[in-house]
This record gives sequence, C-alpha cells and structure tokens, in this order.
Amino acid sequence: MLFTELILAIMKAVNRQRTISSPYHLIKGKKSGQTIQDIGYFGLYPYFGVLPKLDKKAYDQAVQRLFSQGYLMANEQVIDLSEKALELNIRASSLNGWKYRGNENIFLSRLSLIVQTFSHISQQVKSFDPVVTDEEVQSWVKKYLSRIQFRDLAVAQAFKEELLTTLTDTEISETHKMILMERLTGFGLSGLTWQQIAESKNLSILDAQLMAVEALHGWMAAIERSKPQLLIGLMEGIIQQSSLTETAQRTEKLFDRGFSLEQIASLRQLKSSTIEDHFVELAMNDPYFNYTPFVNSDLYEAIIAESKRQKTKRLREIKEHLPEASYFQIRLALAIKEEQG
Amino acid sequence: MNLDELLYSTYGFSSFRPGQREIIERVLAGEDVIALLPTGMGKSICYQLPAKVLPDSVLIVSPLLSLMQDQVAQLKKMGEKSVVAINSFLKPEDKEKIWSKLHSYKFIFISPEMLVQPFVKQKLQQIRISLLVADEAHCISQWGFDFRPDYLRISEILPSLRFPQVLALTATATDKVTEEIKEYLALEEPYVYCHPMDRKNIVYDTKKFEDGREKIGFLKDFVLKFNGPGIIYAGTRKKSQELSLLLTELGISSAFYHGGMEHQDRVFVQQQFQNGELQWICSTNAFGMGVHIPNIRHVIHFQLPTSIEGYVQEVGRAGRDGKPALATLLYAQGDEGLLESLVMDDLPTQHEIEEVFRHGAGATHLIDQGIVRETAFRVVSYWITKLPLEGVVRQIEQLRIGKRHQAAKIKELISRQQCLRKYIVESFDQQLSEKPKNCCILDGIDYSNFEAFSQPQEKRLPLEWQDRLRVILPI
Repeated sequence: MLFTELILAIMKAVNRQRTISSPYHLIKGKKSGQTIQDIGYFGLYPYFGVLPKLDKKAYDQAVQRLFSQGYLMANEQVIDLSEKALELNIRASSLNGWKYRGNENIFLSRLSLIVQTFSHISQQVKSFDPVVTDEEVQSWVKKYLSRIQFRDLAVAQAFKEELLTTLTDTEISETHKMILMERLTGFGLSGLTWQQIAESKNLSILDAQLMAVEALHGWMAAIERSKPQLLIGLMEGIIQQSSLTETAQRTEKLFDRGFSLEQIASLRQLKSSTIEDHFVELAMNDPYFNYTPFVNSDLYEAIIAESKRQKTKRLREIKEHLPEASYFQIRLALAIKEEQG
Repeated sequence: MNLDELLYSTYGFSSFRPGQREIIERVLAGEDVIALLPTGMGKSICYQLPAKVLPDSVLIVSPLLSLMQDQVAQLKKMGEKSVVAINSFLKPEDKEKIWSKLHSYKFIFISPEMLVQPFVKQKLQQIRISLLVADEAHCISQWGFDFRPDYLRISEILPSLRFPQVLALTATATDKVTEEIKEYLALEEPYVYCHPMDRKNIVYDTKKFEDGREKIGFLKDFVLKFNGPGIIYAGTRKKSQELSLLLTELGISSAFYHGGMEHQDRVFVQQQFQNGELQWICSTNAFGMGVHIPNIRHVIHFQLPTSIEGYVQEVGRAGRDGKPALATLLYAQGDEGLLESLVMDDLPTQHEIEEVFRHGAGATHLIDQGIVRETAFRVVSYWITKLPLEGVVRQIEQLRIGKRHQAAKIKELISRQQCLRKYIVESFDQQLSEKPKNCCILDGIDYSNFEAFSQPQEKRLPLEWQDRLRVILPI
C-alpha cells in the first residue's frame, strides 16, 4: 500500500464525515477520545499508529498531491472523494495497527541485532558495533541469545531457515520482503537508509516506511500462526493483552470498583471530559458494555435511530434533532458495537 | 606497577601513543592534569587506564550526548560492564536502580545539566570519586567555538564533591582557553600536556571560485579524479542532500548525513562508510563524533567552517592511519556572507536578553512560544544568574566581538599569502617545528600522492530478498 492510498482508504471509510486532518491523527496514533472513537465508528483498526513519526509537512504535501491529481475535492465544508478515488482499487493490506501498536519496531530491532550477531559469529568475527543502540533491546537480545544457545551453528542455521520459511509464506509482495531484508545488517553489508531504499525502488520515503510496517504486520501474523520454535520467541511482549490504552484501563478498574464518573475524575485529578473519553473507548472495545448508567435505553435508541435516519455520525447533526442528549451520551451510543444495539 | 603491562592486558596494545604515558603517570601521581590531544590520539585511554588502578569511581562530565553514548558503547565493546550514563534521557524505571548502586559503578558518565540538579548532586556527594574527568573541556570557554553555558556549572559542584582530582581533556585549545579551564575548574597548578597540533600527513589546500557554479564544477571533477573515503562538509542539511545527489548522479557511491535523519538511518550510514560500502559522506558538522575510520583520504569543506578550531577538528578526521590525506577548502565569492550569518545567528539579540530578564531563567515558555531561541535562552539564562542586565548585554557584545574575530581568522585562511600550516599551528599558540615536503597550497602541493589510491571495488548488491539474506547469513 502506498502512502497516498492509505490516506484515501481512511477518507473513504470516514465517508465525508471527518476533516482532512483526521487521517493524520489516526496514522500517528494519537490517543485522543476523538481518534479512538473514530476507530470504532468507522472500522479504522488497521491504520491506527502505523507511522507514529509522521511529519505534518510531509502529510500535507501528500494531501496536496491528492488534490492536484484529482482524487480529492474541496466541497464547502467537507472533503469529497472524486469518482477516480472511489473507483481506485486499493490493494488489500496486512496492516494491523490496533493490534501491534507500533511494537513491530521492537520486533525488527530485536531481529536486526540477532541477525547481526549470527552474521558475525558465524564468520568468526567476535566484536562489532551493535546496529541497535537501545539498551533495553540489547539486554533482551542478550538473554534471548543465551537461552537459545546461539553459539551452536545448528541454531543459527535453524534460525535462518525459520526466517526464510515464514517470510516465504507471508502474503506480501517480494518488494515488501526485500525492504525488510534491506533494513537488516550483516558482516560487511550494512542496512540501508529509508532514502536509499526508496530511491532504488522509485518510491517515496513514506511509501517505503509504510510498506515496511505492512510487511512486519503480515509477517508477525504469520509467525503467530505457525509458531516456529525460535522466531516465536521474538514476539514476547509485542502484543498488548488489552486493546485499551493504559489510562482507560485505570478508569475501567475504578469504575468496576463502583466509583462514578465524577468520582474517578476527582480521584485521578483529570477533567471529566477525559474520563468520558475513556468510557467511549471502553464502550468501543467491550461488546457487553453496560451503557445504562450513562444513558437510558430510550435515549440510546433515539440516538441510534437519528444517526441511521440522517446517515451520519456527526455529533452536531444528531444533537440538533435530539437536544436532550449530551454530546457524551451521543458519542457513547455511537461507540457501542452495532450487534448490541 | 607497570603501565605497559596494564596497557597490553587491557587493550592489547604494546605501546602508548605520544602523550598518553605522560598524562596517565601524572594522573596516577594524584596531580590535576589538562591534556590537549588532537582527536584520534586516544584521549579516552587517559582516564580508562587509570580507572583500572584508582580505588573509586571515575566521574566523566560529557557535554555532548552523542559523544557520551559513543564512549559508553566503546567501553562496553571492550567488555567493561561497570558503566552508567546519566542524562536527561534516563528512563524513570532505571533511575531507582542506578541511584541505589551508584557507588558500585567504575565509570559514571554525566551531562552537565544533570550534574547540577540538587538531587543528583546529593547522590554524588554520598559516593567516593577518585577522578573527575571534564571531557571536551574547551566547551567551558565562552570564547570557544563550542561554548556550553551548562558546562560552567561544573565549577559549582566542585566544592560539594570536596574538590576531587581533575583531568580536563580537549582536542583544541589556545592558551587563552587553557587559562579559562584552569580558572573554572579551580585548578591551581595543573600539569598541562600540550600535543603538537600539526598533523604532518595532512596537506592543506584551498580553491577559490567566481561563483557557486564553478565550485560545483570543481567538486564534480574532483570526485571523478580522486577516490575516497572522504567527507564533504556542507554548511546545511539541505546542501548535504544536494551534494550527495550530485555524486550519486555521477555514479559515485555516497550518502548524506545530518541531524535531521532518524537515529537508525544515521547508524546505517556510519556503518556503510566504515565498511567501505560508501566512498563519500556529504554531511553537516553532525558527522564525525565517534567515527573511527583510519583511512579517510579527503576532507572537503564545501562551505567555510565557522571557526579554526572546528576546521582543525573536522580536518583531523582524515589520515588517522598516517598516510597522506588532503584537506580541501572551497570558497566562492560571497561565501563569507553565509559564514557571517551562521556565526552570528546563534547570539542572543537585545530583545531576547530583555525578555529572559523580565521572565526569569525558568521561563522556558519563551522558547515554546518562539519568543526566544533555545541556544540564546541557554546562554542568557546562565548569565542573568551572575550579572545585572547591562552586564549581560556587555557580555554578549564581547561574545559578538569574539565571534567576529573567529570569522576573520577563517577568512584569512582564504586570503593568506603564506604557509597555511604555519598559520593554523600559530592560531593555537604553537610554533611549527618543521614543514613536510607536501605542505599546503601556498608551498605547492604534489597531488600525485592522492591519485595513487586505487579504485574501490564495485560491490554488487543482491537483487532478491533471499539473496540478501544469504549474504548476511552465509550459513
């Protein structure tokens, strides 16, 4: 998937109901109430936080290109997708941002250091400058290597074999696989910079970076499925147990112990609106979320009906017809998984 | 104790480099030492080896994060485990562990701004310090090219550490700077080791052009004629990218390097260069720190450097193997305009001084709101704790004069009618003892020395991902 395709895929999903900056926040993985709830409303799970270091300028430039190439059109208040954009067949993607939460970088860092180590010791070079300088990764890799008895050449061979097999079985393009290999370093062959990778493949830097994340998500999923003996070890701590943000988890715990929204806000010394964001997040993630303490069933049904009638998830438009509902109640109702309603 | 044996058992070297033995002996004799050793002459051995003998911790104050990280990495590579780096990037979860066993670390690296935090100061007071090392000690000099106000604060902590023995290390210092180091570190009668600045195997060349186009043309011819490894220093990030692209278009392997790139990419470029996968690096002055490549043949300055000290340090990265290396300084008419603005831009303006004064040294919101620039803020907020408003204004004015003086010295490199080597050496208050045969542009240069280096072998990069994996893991 190219970077501009990513923007278009998100714009398509939000279907004229969000501004052009919302894909930016989503791609960066902003943990605001709005972004988190949009993920649930519009099914944007794959795209969350896939490029956390995305630069606003680079994003704006990509958007400008989409305008000038006739994919996007400014239309009074909203951004419209052109016919050309709607017809565009965006390739299936292995992105799974909500699940991996940027941790693919930890996976790749571990892998780089392990591969670099195998590359050197198998060629009788005992000392080298580690390509990963992060101390946490370094100490993790040290423990991992001693656990798998890395000095045994057969272990190195088995590791390489697992790498070859699982990557071969991953359903991503050869270019994707090459990008991953080019980020690895061995004895006498250094990793390539994004600039170098992009240039050799006629891609932009953002395209190359996005494809690397895509490749990693696809590969990690394949590793989780086939559980190869050595590689599966690299997944340790990569997948979050809860899909909630940490701060929302804390709110959930307090709520389960019987504290009210206001009490939680004062206990945690946070604004009520922040705690409201947490509940919206909880509602989004929990199919059995009990909304009745916050909104009675009649109002809930009314909000859902209004949203369906107007074919919108815009809060303001719903509120105009249901002035008795608070914005929080509307957001909460919209966040609840459809099967429950 | 036998120093040679210690050197061999620790590093596997059978002899010291010039200066190292003298410095280490004095340190072990308990004297304060100021050591001026050119880059690449093994400065770190001067405290690493004594640490093997001294009973307690060695505290190394290091003003540059990247340098600190590099030294920690080097020590670890040698198998030293008792190392810790204390800087503002320390993770909260690691802090507790570090504080509780601080006394057990042999090497404690610390940044100046951490040093003066009351909590840190208190922790340091509780442990025993055998030696305080002030690395890059020239940063203490407000006249120096690398002034870091925070560094002056070392002097504030000395009393609470009961004035430990001090080793001040630097690669570049004039007599004036040496005096300042003495003063700020409260060194009464230190032993001063001063290594000759001159590097005989480096040949100094300058080229003057009518305009930028001519300069580019020269660079193209140059890289087609001479082989690397070489560094081309550009004044800006953008320029470094442009120059790298230019070389790539000529079919010459090169990459750019600057502080705006992500950390992993910078590591990659550095390793590619170290491995000989690249001939040229086009870089801002961010490249060089912690780079240990002995066979760099060329350092080209595409734009005027901002000080003689900086110039000598950058040029000094060439020819560490002792073989001939060429330093080429390029100048096109009007370049001094850029130099002037680069040099002066950092200085706080009258308005900035007044703003910091009005809001106080803690008013970092001035930076966030873009009212005062970060470096300017650092400099002024140091001085307002020492001087009244007029004093600070005068101080900055002095700084401006000093900077102008630096720029003038650089310009003289271009206009000079006599030996450049002599000029450079005398800038550091040293005398040139003898000239090498191949000396500088004004004494005539024999370029054939540099043509001799052979064409590097063209490396074929693997085309398929499986091939690349097989090259990395040939097992």
